[in-house]
This record gives sequence, structure tokens and C-alpha cells, in this order.
Amino acid sequence: MINTGFRGDLIEVLFVLVLGTAAFIITQRALRSLFTIYTIQSVILSAIAVVLFAEHRTLSLLFIALLTLVIKGFVIPAFLRRTLVVLPTKRDIEFSYLTPASSILLSAVLLFIVYTSFSNVAQALFSDRLFFLGGVIGVSLALMGMMVIFSRKKVVSKIVGYLTMENGVLLFGLFIAEMPFIIEVLIVIDLLMLIVLSTIMAFGIDSSIEAFHKKLTQLGLRFED
Amino acid sequence: MQNLLLVIYVALPLALVGIFWALGRHGLGQDNRFLNLFVVLQAALFLGVTSWAFAALKLPVGFLHGEYFYIDSLSLYEILVTSIVFLLAAVYSRGYVSSLVDAGELDSSILRLFYGAFCLLEMVIILAFASNNLALLWIFAELSTLFSSALIVTLKARENIIAALKYVFVASTAMLFSFIGIIILFAMSRSVITGGSLNWTSLFEAAHNMDPRLFFLAFSFLFLGFAAKAGVAPFHTWVPTAYVRAPSAVAVVSGTVLNLGLYAILRLYAIGYAAGAGADLRLFLFIFGLFSIAVAGFSMLKRTNTKKIIAFSGVESAGLLLIAFGLGSATALYWALFYVLGYSLVKSLLFFCAGIFHRQYQSNKYFAARQALKLQPLASWGLILGSAAAIGTPLLPVFLAKWNILAALGQVSAGMLAATLFFLLLAVIGLAYYFIRLFGQEPEGEIKAFRTPASMKLPIIVCLTIILVLGLWVPGGLDNTLGRIVVSLGL
Repeated sequence: MINTGFRGDLIEVLFVLVLGTAAFIITQRALRSLFTIYTIQSVILSAIAVVLFAEHRTLSLLFIALLTLVIKGFVIPAFLRRTLVVLPTKRDIEFSYLTPASSILLSAVLLFIVYTSFSNVAQALFSDRLFFLGGVIGVSLALMGMMVIFSRKKVVSKIVGYLTMENGVLLFGLFIAEMPFIIEVLIVIDLLMLIVLSTIMAFGIDSSIEAFHKKLTQLGLRFED
Repeated sequence: MQNLLLVIYVALPLALVGIFWALGRHGLGQDNRFLNLFVVLQAALFLGVTSWAFAALKLPVGFLHGEYFYIDSLSLYEILVTSIVFLLAAVYSRGYVSSLVDAGELDSSILRLFYGAFCLLEMVIILAFASNNLALLWIFAELSTLFSSALIVTLKARENIIAALKYVFVASTAMLFSFIGIIILFAMSRSVITGGSLNWTSLFEAAHNMDPRLFFLAFSFLFLGFAAKAGVAPFHTWVPTAYVRAPSAVAVVSGTVLNLGLYAILRLYAIGYAAGAGADLRLFLFIFGLFSIAVAGFSMLKRTNTKKIIAFSGVESAGLLLIAFGLGSATALYWALFYVLGYSLVKSLLFFCAGIFHRQYQSNKYFAARQALKLQPLASWGLILGSAAAIGTPLLPVFLAKWNILAALGQVSAGMLAATLFFLLLAVIGLAYYFIRLFGQEPEGEIKAFRTPASMKLPIIVCLTIILVLGLWVPGGLDNTLGRIVVSLGL
């Protein structure tokens, strides 16, 4: 439970910012901007964990904040930016199934549906209104990430969608139940491996095998003999 | 002593990956027979120690204080099925991978990656079954996606990359929703277990104090991820794409990933049942089970690709197992578990044979297969008997299971039985029509026979032998094990 008014207000402001970044991720076409918005979103999540730590003094919250900041605020964005050097296109113009405008509209509908569904179990699951909001925004963010995966054509944009989903799950976890820290670490390792593998495969899609190997070498992922 | 079992499951694959890495990209590092020998030895050792555990250990046993790892009859049974399938696939790979390298479809420089991922995939699947902690199982299930997709992408084709990416995105997206379910379950557990827990054993013991409404919510999220792993419709879309593109040996071992998804669903259902959410969960499983059989039935009617029709047969079997779990009766569960073993062997057999057909005709399409019975008699008979077993022909093991599950379903709902039978019939027609067309192709010119290596024939003969035996006789040890598992689930 958040007792202090200022911290509660601060978290609400951060919620709005998280939703703002999600809206940008849904509509943004330039890949570099997409990575930057993801970085900002991860830093905001890290800030939320710090505010929760200030309130509850649970050390694992501080570790989660640090882990999020280092891995999602620096390591993953740096890796993704590096991929831009060898990617033939810098913008993801095409959308399938959904246009950016309809995606935003659908996001609002999803937010409402999640809010209504969780209202029924709010008392049993959440300690107060703020935690309830955190849970709702977390699940909605995961759904918005899924929308990005299905509405974007470029694999790199889909990867950002997946990362957004993962941020949504993290937010949900922060406001419902802190998982044992070792589990959080393992999940981040798993996330890193999946991102690296997906990115490697993304290069393979529009390359001949020789060009693919060359790109991997440029990324430092494969060493020539 | 039991901790040694866990050490073997973990240390051996990691040691092999280290050896493969140390060998480098030249000489022995590119020698398929040499690398394959290690993989066969690992698979054989895993099967050996698992069989030993069945015979010598008093189950259940916990590892490292039982907090994170634990095996009971159900998990050891699943590990045994996994070990059998991996050993057969490892032996098959000896000749199969050589032929892929000779044909230039697989670069010998990535053989180490192929076998390394193969070893690690077996390790993570076994560890997932041995996990006492749901979050740990989730992580191992995610890692199985990672290693499976790495295996798919080893073939030199753009379509393989697309298939692997589809697999990663569909399975991992669904698994993230599962994690939301895990968080809800953990939050719930804190009100009934001090400090909260995600251990199967603790959750099962405390289940009767849980709020059934909340458990249903958690289950709904958890189901999304594990259903995607199990190939349950509508989350099955990765299954046909990945199976078609995957090398046959990989398609065989990926079948154990489907078992993993179903295993998690069964465990969760048992907890939900104890929590008092049984009626809602049963309806949930019936709906998805029936839908999967329907999707598979209609999809199998118009297939032109052997591997794809086998993949849809897998979707059908996942649907049937969900219905059996939902029934929850001792008979239905007993035969569902028997079906897991029987169908794993049948599907392996079909993929082994499909792999030989692909080497012979360089295609998975039915119309490419000419003079099949003459050129590849063993693979042809394997496909005929395997498909007959898959549809539930009497005297073959799947028949016994299907018959008993459907009989149990008939006692619960005649309408459900009629609908299930109708969609199963579509699957039977689809499979029968497909193979009639395949073996009815007119001969066209002289075709040079592919010399099938003995290592590719042996797993087919073993599969056929076990299938024929299990169709007539359920060994006493297996019968006892299945009986124990049913009792332990408490449904």
C-alpha cells in the first residue's frame, strides 16, 4: 500500500508516461525512435520500482530497478541500435491488419476491457486502488505489445513489441506480487537470449547465406577464422 | 544418491556443448559421425538413468531440498517418454544429418551448433519436467523454444528462418501471458502459504483454501502459454509451419515440447480441481479440446504435405488429451497418459518415415512420391502403419486410448461425444485420403533409390515393434505407473 500522497501522485504520473510511450511504440515508424521510446519506457519502469522501494524498503525492488535499468535501459537498446548499422531499412512503414490510428483506438478498448475484468477481482488481488491501476496498465501494456507484434511487418519492430509486452508483465508483477529475485534474473537472461536469436534471424530473412554471415561478423556475433 | 540423477541431466549436456565448442570448426568439429556418437551416448545414458530411477527410487523425491526440483511418477514418466524419443532421434540423426550435409542442405560448419542445441533441448525439457517450481518450468519451457528454433534454423533456407521466427513469436508471446498467470497464482498463494510459493507440491497441498474464481483467472492466463506449447488451437499456428521446415529428427524431438505444454496444463488442472474450480476448468478444456480437433479435422482434409498432415494430427491429439483431462475420471486419465507414450512413438515413426521420403524425393509433397513402396518399402510401411495407428485402428496402441477416452466422454455428454466423433472422422478421412493419394501415384520414369542408412531404419523398426506390442499388451510396470499417477493427481 502506498501511504504517502506524493509518492502515489508520482506513480500515477509515471503510469501516464508509460501509456504515452506505448502509444508512441504503436505508431512510430522510424526504427531508431522506436528503440529510444523503448529505452525511455524501461527507465520509467525502473523509476516506478525505485519509488516502490522508497515506500516499502524491500531490497528486491531496488535490484529489479537496477536490473531493468542496466539490461533494458542500456544493454538491449545498445544491441538493437547496433543492428541498425547493418539493417537495409531504417523505417518500418508497412502495417498489417491495423493502421496506427485504429491501433490506438483498439488500445483504449483493451484498456477498458482489462479494467472492467480486473474490477471483479480487485479486492482479492490488489491492496489498494493504485496497485489495481498498476496491474491494469501492466496487462494493457502487454496487450499493446502483442498488437505491435501482429500489426508490424519488420521483425525488428516485432522484437520491440515483444519487449513492450515483457515490460507490461514486469509492471504487473511490481504491483501484484514481487517474484523471488532469482526468477527475475533468469527471466531477463531468457529475454536477452530470445532477443539476440530473433535479431540474428531477422538478418537472415533478407540476406543470402554469405551476406548473412558477413552481417553477423559486422555485429561481432561471428568470428572469421 | 538421487541428486546424482539431476547432476547427470545437467552436467552431461553442458560438458558436451563445451567439448563441441573446444573441437573448433575444423576436423572432428565437422565430423557428423563423431559428434553424433556423443549425442547418442547422452540420450542412451539419460534413458538408462531414468529407467534406473523408476526401478530404484522411492518416488516422489526432491532434489536440493525439493524447493526447485522434484520428481514424482508423472514427471518421471514424461522424462522417460522424452528420453526414448530423443534416443531414437539421436540414432536417426546419424544417417539423416549425413545425407543433409552431403546434399548441401546443412553446412558442416554448423554441425556443432546443431548437436549442441539438440543436447541442450533434451536437458531443458527434462529439467522442465523435473521442476517443482512453476516459474522454473516456465523458464525451461521458454528455453525449449529457443533451442528448438535454433535447430530449425540450421537448415540453409530462408523459409526455415521465417518458420523459426513464427515459432518464437507465437510461443513466446503466449508464454508472456502465462507469466501474468504465474504472478496472479503467486499473489494468491501468499494468502494460503506463508510467504507465497509456486511449488507444485505446496500449491497442491494448499489448493483447497484457494479462491476458485481467482484460480480460474490465473489458469486462463497460464493456459494461453502452455496451450501454445502444446499445439492447442487457436494457438497452434506455429506447429505446421515449424514442423514442415524442421529437419525430421528435429520435428521428432519437438514433439516432446508439445508433451511439456500438456503436462503443465494437467498439473494446473489438478490444482484447480482441488481448489474447487473443476467445473469451470472442465468446460474450458472441453471447448479448447473440441475446437482443436475440429481445426485439425478440417485442416487435414486438404493437405498436400506429409509433414504438415502429421503436424495437424498432433493438434488433434492435443485436443483429445485436453478432453480426457477435462473428464478427469481415473479411466480417462489412465488412457490419456497411455496415449502420451503411444502417440509420441507413432508421431516419431511418421516423422522418421517422412524424413526418408524427403531424402528420396527431395520434397514433402504427396505427388512427388512415386513408386514409394518399391523404392522405400520400410518407410512406406512405416507411414501406412503409423497413420493407421494415429487414426486409432484396432490392435494398435492409440486405439485403446481413444476408445476408452471416448467411452468415458459418452458417459458424460452424448452431444460432446457426437461432435468429437464427427471431427475425429474428418481427421481419419483426411489422413486416409492423403495416403491413398500418396501411394496411388503413377510411376514416371526410372527413379534412383536413396540408400537409406541402417541408422535411419533402426528407429523405425524399434518404433514399429513397440507400437505393435503396446497395441496388444500393456506391461505390468507401465500399468502400475499409470495407476499411481492417476491416484497422485487426486482428480
